[in-house]
Amino acid sequence: MTANHEIEARLRETAGELLRQKRVDLFLGYEKASLPFRTTPLFLTSPDEVERLVWNPFCTVNLAVYLPRLFAAPADPRKAKDLSPPTVGLVLKGCDTRSVVALIQERQVPREKLVLVGVACPGMVDRQKAERALGEHEALGAEEDAQGNVRAMIDDEMEVALPREEIVSDACLECRFPTPLIHDVLLGGPVEPKDRDVARRLTAEFESRALSARWVHLQETLSKCIRCNACRQSCPMCYCKECLLDQTRPRWVGASTDISDVTIYHLVRAFHMAGRCTECGACARACPMGIDTRLLVRKLSQDVEDLYQYRPGEAIDTTPPLSAFAMEDPQDFLTEP
Amino acid sequence: MSESQAAQETALETSWEPKIVAFLCNWCSYAGADLAGVSRIQYPHNIRIIRVPCSGRINPVFLLRALQDGADGVLVSGCHPGDCHYISGNLVARRKFALFKELLQYAGIEPERVQFTWVSASEGGRFAAIVEKVVEEVRKIGPNRKLVKVP
Repeated sequence: MTANHEIEARLRETAGELLRQKRVDLFLGYEKASLPFRTTPLFLTSPDEVERLVWNPFCTVNLAVYLPRLFAAPADPRKAKDLSPPTVGLVLKGCDTRSVVALIQERQVPREKLVLVGVACPGMVDRQKAERALGEHEALGAEEDAQGNVRAMIDDEMEVALPREEIVSDACLECRFPTPLIHDVLLGGPVEPKDRDVARRLTAEFESRALSARWVHLQETLSKCIRCNACRQSCPMCYCKECLLDQTRPRWVGASTDISDVTIYHLVRAFHMAGRCTECGACARACPMGIDTRLLVRKLSQDVEDLYQYRPGEAIDTTPPLSAFAMEDPQDFLTEP
Repeated sequence: MSESQAAQETALETSWEPKIVAFLCNWCSYAGADLAGVSRIQYPHNIRIIRVPCSGRINPVFLLRALQDGADGVLVSGCHPGDCHYISGNLVARRKFALFKELLQYAGIEPERVQFTWVSASEGGRFAAIVEKVVEEVRKIGPNRKLVKVP
């Protein structure tokens, strides 16, 4: 029995208990998907179905993305008083917990309505990486073996072993908080981050290139963008009812795939994540074109940390950096005559 | 591109003057620009001023849109820290500006294209000097080709 099987058993137990005791109306978790290397988000309301819950290296989705709409105020404010928001229990990895913390800070989700079931996460599998590793073979099934590596069943009924570190998601390689910082229940022991400076090294490498080389690289990357908005939709922090990118009077950001519009879209999306991005990598996983959607956000996160000593989603009782200011904030970027 | 168009382009090239869009706050910088005018201080006529209620009103999208629509540079100016008409609008804006300027540079856009400063209502001379400096810097790096939307 692997560690994940134990976690899975305890997860089902916990979810069943929470639902039976009516401590939660709804439990969010993962269930087996019909395709390999994936899981499907599962919304449980009855304790009889907890056996559907799974925990494996394919539980990639950040379930925090569903929270804001569960607690959204009704369009008609007169109806607000008749509404009783549900209590929700959910499974959270380290990064997902950071998203929940940021959502609580931004008053999108009430803490007292949540039961956080944290799981220390050693890194989730990137489906696209796994498929690439299999080459022309198509996986029919995949599961984790006792060492934490993935065994994929391929078409001619053969098994292929995929080492975990080769198919783990890019965001997980950068992960600094694999163990949930805030939780009501913690399943599995704490996991130590392997390397805290991956993101910093990536940013430094990109920054070391010449200005024009950076622009060329960005344009090449972004020219793949089809403006499907998947990066925005998958992001737990993008909950605005009316997104600036959708506004038409005036239309601030053009909706076309013209490279100028695309670049502005990505700059604006990144900027809206400044001091808010919880580094779960949902945007990169959602991108059908394989764009490194975190390229710009990574830089902003680092600047926020360096300039305002703030890491999003670490503690509930802090103020997000762009909602605050200090008289002595650095201003050496200003033009002086 | 037809030959006449190409010729037109080169003609434009030689007589090119930078177009700078300046977002000035109503209470300090706009009055500073006004003072520069009434004091008859000379400064380059390359700037087009847009008056905003406060530097805190400026959404970075404004600056991107200006560049997309063909501005060669953007200047943003508000009250000095502590002097904001709305007490802290410029202080909140300062954090946004610091991050935004870094982001643009990281993305490969010349740092001279988008500049930020503070000008008070009594600093007509400072306003003129800033405009002169910005125009000079943008002239050096040439026309904006990066974010411009070519129809």
